[in-house]
Amino acid sequence: MTEFNYPIRQARHLKPQEHWGWIVAIYLYLAGMGAGSFIIGTLIDWSIGPSRFIRIPILNLPFDFSKATLLWGPILVAIGAPFLILDLGIKKRFLYACLNPRTSWVARGFIILSAFMIFGLIFLVKSSFPFKWLHGESVLWHILEIIALAFAFATALYTGVLLKATKSIPLWNTYGLPLLFLVSALSTGLMAIILSMLGSGLLTYDSVMMKILIIGEEGLLVLEGIVLHLFLSIKLKATKHAGGSTRIIWLSERLTLFGGVILLSLLFPGLLRNITSLFRGEVVFMVLAGTLLLSGGFFLRLGVLRAGIRDQIPMKRWIEFQYGLIKNPKPEYRRAQGRSAIGGKSETNLKFIF
Amino acid sequence: MDEKVLVVDQQKCTGCRQCELVCSVYHTGSSNPSRSRIKVVKWEEEGIYLPLICNHCEEAYCVEVCPTKACHREPENNNRVTIDEKLCIGCKTCIIACPFGHPFFDIKDRVTRKCDYCDGDPQCVVFCNPKAVSFMDADKMDVARRREAAIKWADFMKQGR
Repeated sequence: MTEFNYPIRQARHLKPQEHWGWIVAIYLYLAGMGAGSFIIGTLIDWSIGPSRFIRIPILNLPFDFSKATLLWGPILVAIGAPFLILDLGIKKRFLYACLNPRTSWVARGFIILSAFMIFGLIFLVKSSFPFKWLHGESVLWHILEIIALAFAFATALYTGVLLKATKSIPLWNTYGLPLLFLVSALSTGLMAIILSMLGSGLLTYDSVMMKILIIGEEGLLVLEGIVLHLFLSIKLKATKHAGGSTRIIWLSERLTLFGGVILLSLLFPGLLRNITSLFRGEVVFMVLAGTLLLSGGFFLRLGVLRAGIRDQIPMKRWIEFQYGLIKNPKPEYRRAQGRSAIGGKSETNLKFIF
Repeated sequence: MDEKVLVVDQQKCTGCRQCELVCSVYHTGSSNPSRSRIKVVKWEEEGIYLPLICNHCEEAYCVEVCPTKACHREPENNNRVTIDEKLCIGCKTCIIACPFGHPFFDIKDRVTRKCDYCDGDPQCVVFCNPKAVSFMDADKMDVARRREAAIKWADFMKQGR
């Protein structure tokens, strides 16, 4: 009964943070995917430039949306940003969030995302308008394009750096996390671009260019899998050295919940591609694989957020040590500790209530 | 002016949680321990109680991560770290950043709160009968006892590696 009333007792003193949940996960996901798709879209536009050959008008308007199919990433970031505002205690004060860029990554992120949205939306609008003077080969436009690309990279990295800056949560406080989020942003971004090109008719499923993009996507998925594996294995090693610290819970409980989706999103799209080769021209499989991959990107971020377990408060550890309530990894020390423990209980399960 | 700090003597704490009550009454007008700036952690079966308060750290992570500068240091007020509720946007970044889990989110006012020494007269100290919490000059704390504790702790950490 007591265990039911106080489930924290089963998990000893380890408790995941509950302050950032699915709302922040959506924000991180859309920011990452938006930035990733802009990076990929710009690179495709520079290298292959499918918009130069095909024109996509909508409702007989004079605008050409062929290039916009590649550069719509900033819209995703613009949709995601209000989710961060939604998570604030006092939403109308959201503009204050940029007052301390000297030390705060939230403030820096506010500036980075705002700059990316402004530059990105400028290029999105520019690419759609039919005016010739807008499409001249001016050096200024190229410089602005490179700046927008740099801010897109910064946005994709920032989603990981924001969590990395939290020093009290070991799972987040690692350089592997920004790298993992960057690769995930690129893979989800590329998939979003592939789907948008298929949907708009900019590329057909059978085209050579599409095959190259799909191979690129698979390469990114393999890279993401490697980074995810390294990220987890490094944390597992850290757990062994730390002696039953926070990360075990992430691996034992959280990973089963979210890991399935992540693994599915990494492995299943590759599998589907092979199935697709049996059913030539079947776009449905591609859309299904893409949807899985995109949902995996979201659950990856939600899983990392939900698994953020802070290190134990030093004072609590000190009390547990003082009263002989915690295990020491060395057997000889545990024996000595057992003799001095209260009531002879040297290795009892800790139970405390806030 | 000498800088004063809150000092906890855990062995004197009886776990009555009166400090939580007076803190919430003083700051919010309501008798609601969940809105208190001091929290008593309990190991019930062992009968151990530990009042947790803000340490007003020298290198305060809450100040570092606050995007609005609402969380700031006031050298003129015992060098305390406090939150300006007019600037706080309730982003909860400081709560996540604090290694001691001290700041808490006030659901009613939708901002983050933390200990502010009750503007120089901490109510938890005034109402603590066993004197488990005291407000004293930083340089008059029991240095020998702290050194002994630190040596024990360092020894424990070494053996834990």
